[in-house]
Amino acid sequence: MSSPAMNKADFISSIILTLFGIGIIIESLRLPRLENLNINAYTVPGIVPGFLGLFLTIAGLFIFIRSIRRGGYKLSISSGQMTGWLGSAMVKRTAITIAITMAYAILLFPNVPFWLATPLFIFVFVVATEAMKYGRLPDPVRLLTALVLAIVAGLVINYVFQDLFFVRLPGG
Amino acid sequence: MDGLISFANSVAAILTSWSAIDVIWATLLGIIVGMLPGLTATLGVALLTTLTFKMEADQAILILICMYVGAIYGGSRSAILLNIPGTPANAATALDGFPLARAGKAGTAMAIATTGSVFGGMIGMIALAVIAPVLAEFALSFGAFEFFWLAVFGVLISGQLTSLDDPVKGWVAGFLGLFIATIGQEGIYAVPRFSYGSTDLSGGIGLLPAMVGAFGLAEILTVMRHEVYEAVRAKTDSVWTGIKESYKYKFTALRSGLIGTLMGLIPGVGEDMGSWASYAAARQSSKNKEEFGKGSVEGLLAAETGNNAAVPGALIPVLTLAVPGSAPAAVLLAAMIIHGIRPGPLIMIESPGFVYSVVAMVFLATIAMGVLGLLLTRPLVLVLKVTRERLMPIIFVLCTVGAFAIASRTFDVWVMLFFGVFGFILRELKYPMAPLILGIVLGDILDKSLRRGLVLSDGDLSQFFNRPISMVLWMSALLFIVLTMPSIRQFLGGFLKRKREGGVS
Repeated sequence: MSSPAMNKADFISSIILTLFGIGIIIESLRLPRLENLNINAYTVPGIVPGFLGLFLTIAGLFIFIRSIRRGGYKLSISSGQMTGWLGSAMVKRTAITIAITMAYAILLFPNVPFWLATPLFIFVFVVATEAMKYGRLPDPVRLLTALVLAIVAGLVINYVFQDLFFVRLPGG
Repeated sequence: MDGLISFANSVAAILTSWSAIDVIWATLLGIIVGMLPGLTATLGVALLTTLTFKMEADQAILILICMYVGAIYGGSRSAILLNIPGTPANAATALDGFPLARAGKAGTAMAIATTGSVFGGMIGMIALAVIAPVLAEFALSFGAFEFFWLAVFGVLISGQLTSLDDPVKGWVAGFLGLFIATIGQEGIYAVPRFSYGSTDLSGGIGLLPAMVGAFGLAEILTVMRHEVYEAVRAKTDSVWTGIKESYKYKFTALRSGLIGTLMGLIPGVGEDMGSWASYAAARQSSKNKEEFGKGSVEGLLAAETGNNAAVPGALIPVLTLAVPGSAPAAVLLAAMIIHGIRPGPLIMIESPGFVYSVVAMVFLATIAMGVLGLLLTRPLVLVLKVTRERLMPIIFVLCTVGAFAIASRTFDVWVMLFFGVFGFILRELKYPMAPLILGIVLGDILDKSLRRGLVLSDGDLSQFFNRPISMVLWMSALLFIVLTMPSIRQFLGGFLKRKREGGVS
């Protein structure tokens, strides 16, 4: 990330960090003080998170002020720039990676049998990312090797965890 | 003498059992994991922890140490051949290793890296054997006040050194880690904090799923985000030239080994800084400063000696204080606890033999690393031909299953996903990961120590400052932080320069 871009990113992230720090302080104050147990006031459960929240708030404000002094508040994002950024290969690759991995871990892994979910995920991941790399669908040989890789990897991982290490995998 | 006998017995016990095979395969696997960009030593050790937690304690720890040693070394291969450090600890290696490879000296560069790594590993191992028992005895006098400072300054120093250009971001990462550790039931009255009725959250955030996310998924996203890499197609020359070349710089290697060990010893700093600090010191004192960054043998040797010396260095605080010296060491600490070993000040009393077993494990892993690294120079290059498109989905499956396998909880998979995406965003914003992880490990110590200390002193804060060991801890840490501040460094640099010029004129 270039320096001006980092200043903008710092500007936005420091606001989130400061609000998060304030949130921690408020929530720490709301934690039980256990007066009914007659405990020592210095051992209340909220004391450490409260201090941590205070520190994060101060650090957030420090980064916020610094980013303003460095011009990070001039966000000036035009729609053209935004479209260009969203359409870049880098962002597309990252977005596709996040989408496919999340779909596997959230939807497939807990609900679909492992021996089926895993080869399916590996195959889709390889084909999607290789299609982006070459600008077209991979040739039949690549598709076939991807399929073999997906099936072999799925079976081996299934065997290692389920049969060697007795981990009962979810998804039936 | 007892230590030496324990060490020799441990070496003999490993070599005369099936464990010898474990040393070979685990070190080789470590080298391969280290070589592959996107697979770090931390992730390697974390994934292997999930695979070995049904084994006997000694066998599991041996495998994990071999993975750790192998991975830190393996990263030098991709740094030399691809100009992409296989692990963050090999970033300084790429500066001189890649120019050497481009000049047709890939074999020499790999041999220099191997020699440096073996030498660094041995220096660190000697330090581990000598310092650990002494430090453990010293740590017996630590009370709540001292452990509080250890946690605070561990996080502060780690934050400072892993984010030298912007220490505030390093500190924020560390304090975020400390906060994450406070989620769930607290250790004194069992009051659930920040759980909001969730039974999963009240159990706390597991270190291993968080690490698998922060070093696995976050790394996968980082690797996929970047453009493709391609290996140098240089003919590999003789490795023996590299070993001979390294011998010329034996004093550089010795200094780098000591610096690396020290960086490993400091909580949460580890191999990355071990390598950078050794490289900087070598450059500072070299007669051929101009060669650095253009293929300097001395620079490459310093970087690789420094990072491998930090591995045993990072194990010293793990064993004696239960405080990790680096991110992979944090996983090792968690693994030791899973296997019923209780690292900390009592280790020399409860299980004195274990410290020397670990020394023996480091010794054998280092030897295996050197032998495999030199023998398999050519076959190992083939590993770099695996494309990221085919490797990353398999790694992600291992991350998911690994996170789940620890406690058979789907919640741990969510934790892994959260820390993966969160870690990726933090990295992009230049917040380092090591202090975050150290914070998660030290959060519990900080929480209990501060509250117990306040009870003991009846709210008198001065007792945190004026007890002898506390005073040494907070003063040395403060001095260290002040001296490494960018503005202070610049000021001191300018001041010394003016003084020198004044002296000359």
